[in-house]
Amino acid sequence: MTEYALEVEGLTKSFGGKPAVRNVSFKAARGEITGFLGPNGAGKTTTLRMSLGVIAPDSGRAELFGQAPDAAGMDRVGFLPEERGVYRKMTAEAVIIFFARLKGVPAGEARKRARAYLERFGLGDAARKKIKELSKGMAQKVQIISAIIHEPEFIILDEPFSGLDPVNQSLLEHMIREQAEAGRTVLFSTHVMEHAERLCNRIILMARGQKVFDGTVDEALAQVPRQVFLAAPPGEPMQETLCQFGELAEQSRSDDGTEIQWRLTLNPGTDAQAVLRACVDASLKLTHFEPRRPHLHDAFVALVGEEGARELEASAEDA
Amino acid sequence: MRAILLIARREYLSYVATWGFWLSLLAVPIFATIGASLPALIENSQPTRYFAIIDETGLGLDQVIEERRDASRREQIREQLSMMSRLTGDDAARRAALDAFDSNPDTGEAISDALEAAGVPGLEDSLNLEGRDAVMVAAPGASLDDLRPYISGDQLLDTPEGERQLFAAFVLRASDTHPVEILYLSENVNYSDLRREIDRILTGYVRDQALIEQGLSPQEVDRLLSLEPKVTSLNASADAGEDAEITMADRAPFIVAIMFGFILWLAVFSVANMLLTSLIEEKGGKIIEVLLSTARFHEILIGKLAGVAGVSLTLFGIWGFVGSVLSAIGGAALATVNPEIAGLIGAIFDPVLLLAALVFFVFGYLMYGAIFLAMGSLCDTLQDAQTLMGPVIWTLMLPMLFLFFSIEASDSNFVRIASWVPLWTPFVMMARLPTEPPLWELLGAGGLMVLTTVLVLWIAAAVFRQGALRQADADTVRRIFKLGRKKS
Repeated sequence: MTEYALEVEGLTKSFGGKPAVRNVSFKAARGEITGFLGPNGAGKTTTLRMSLGVIAPDSGRAELFGQAPDAAGMDRVGFLPEERGVYRKMTAEAVIIFFARLKGVPAGEARKRARAYLERFGLGDAARKKIKELSKGMAQKVQIISAIIHEPEFIILDEPFSGLDPVNQSLLEHMIREQAEAGRTVLFSTHVMEHAERLCNRIILMARGQKVFDGTVDEALAQVPRQVFLAAPPGEPMQETLCQFGELAEQSRSDDGTEIQWRLTLNPGTDAQAVLRACVDASLKLTHFEPRRPHLHDAFVALVGEEGARELEASAEDA
Repeated sequence: MRAILLIARREYLSYVATWGFWLSLLAVPIFATIGASLPALIENSQPTRYFAIIDETGLGLDQVIEERRDASRREQIREQLSMMSRLTGDDAARRAALDAFDSNPDTGEAISDALEAAGVPGLEDSLNLEGRDAVMVAAPGASLDDLRPYISGDQLLDTPEGERQLFAAFVLRASDTHPVEILYLSENVNYSDLRREIDRILTGYVRDQALIEQGLSPQEVDRLLSLEPKVTSLNASADAGEDAEITMADRAPFIVAIMFGFILWLAVFSVANMLLTSLIEEKGGKIIEVLLSTARFHEILIGKLAGVAGVSLTLFGIWGFVGSVLSAIGGAALATVNPEIAGLIGAIFDPVLLLAALVFFVFGYLMYGAIFLAMGSLCDTLQDAQTLMGPVIWTLMLPMLFLFFSIEASDSNFVRIASWVPLWTPFVMMARLPTEPPLWELLGAGGLMVLTTVLVLWIAAAVFRQGALRQADADTVRRIFKLGRKKS
């Protein structure tokens, strides 16, 4: 048995001569949560579609459980696509049973599981209601249940958080962790870095159809220079004391002119503790000292530049 | 296979478990019954029309008209009594009914007695008598001008129903150029039955009189005017026998085949439309991609086609079953009253025609269903679909024209060529079947139809694949056609 639920190698796809995905390779290790990150239009959905054999790549290959995607492999996958909807005139329970049966779950078992999952997701009372009578959030929960009702080994969620309110986003994060703890592999795409930062063992960053990073969250964060934010009255020897640790820049001054805010971008390998020690040794009259932990968003900006960052922000606004 | 069956089942239940399905199920027989009985309903719902005649000829033509109308009415009643008494199947009852009527044919009691004798009492209202809605009254004036206020409704007539407007007036005058001149006055310019009836009666009368003036007796006139050739249409079929005439039973397969052609067309068109709207709804509801995560393109395509085909077969099955039961119950009685219609209904249950209809339905449905599904996959809304549907609708409309042609000339070369066009074969070849086209034509056109079905399914699957994931849309098709025009 291969140690990867999904392996893609050199996937490339163009639409109408316009490249959508360029030479993308990555692996989703079994039992891990992998985040597939990037702004809208980065090629995430197309890559996932090619990974599952829904569309054929122009070049490259994808393997599900060590084999080309086929019906048997797909039965072991739970996929929640980005473009998703459910039959509005069917009841919540009927929709879930329908998708369970499509995945080969016997009718009786599908009914039993549908009821159990609906209860677990707080939709017990909505089981017999038609989808059109449910709120958007409830309908999305039904979609998520439909994707995992057959208890797949590998769960692929394309932008699962979009459209969910904060409460349901948190519920979904909990569900993803639960599935991973149960030994399942999870791969989800998102343009919201915070979810990935909280959930993922590993992330793949995409921008303009290409993979720009593949590694752990810590490895991604290591790409970003650490920063320390300081404040002190004017006239303190800030430059002399701190320039050895990195690049110091004045940020702003207080309205009454009694305080200057500084940003120190640390050299690679420099520890914020060393900066604090130097400040104490130099008897600087600091009024503020804050080593700031970088976020995945910063890592993304560091990796793709300002233009990529703007695309990411635009995606967040669209969502 | 599992996915195909489940998708087909879901599709099937999504229609069958709706009010719309049951309404459609009832609507067809209800509307067919309404359509069939509409002429009788319109006829029976007409108001009584009162008319007056001013005879200026001095020949007593108004009296002639009254007598001949009465005679015609009596003859019609006799014929209908005779037909009704056949229901009982008793010849003595038929004779008793006619005797009862003939004893005093101008009274209502005689009709009631005759109906009772025929074993169908109380059916006075079901007697359908031509012209019974027009009642002649004494003219309330001596000239056309005197009658004008009655025609316009400014003055009313006293009638058994109360005061009524005069519907029409006739003035009969001598003429230098014609045996008689008829002036007709009415506010209703559309209803011409009454004018034609009076015209017919007077035409008959003046011809009778002209012949009598030539020295012929009234009996000889009757004999001469009833002279006409006897026409016998012989059945040319080898197993029919030398002197066998063409009956309704011989014509029935032709009529039924054309009828099946129309029904097939209607069924394929409405069912393909169901597919189109269902797919557009699924695309709009973003369900297609969810389905694609569990099933392949071809499974979705075939599943949907099979599900909707099941819906139409259920409709046909139920109508067929109800029709069979009704014809089994009423067929014998109908055969006694009207053997021609009974023969026509019998021809519907010809297993060869039914099997052919089923085969043609399957292929017609697969071709058009796949085309409509492919179009649906390219469209997000019905408005989008309408722009693409034009050419397909025209392709579907043309066989309707050929079916109309084939009513009179199923052996026409036009019809023959049309039956070879694969997209039309299911409808036109169906209509041609009773003409017993050569086997090579059946096999050739049928084979072409099967090949085309496979090709259409293959192309539709490719288009569906692009359209379902929004890699192509209605604009793509428009762009392709624009490109083609620029190149040419």
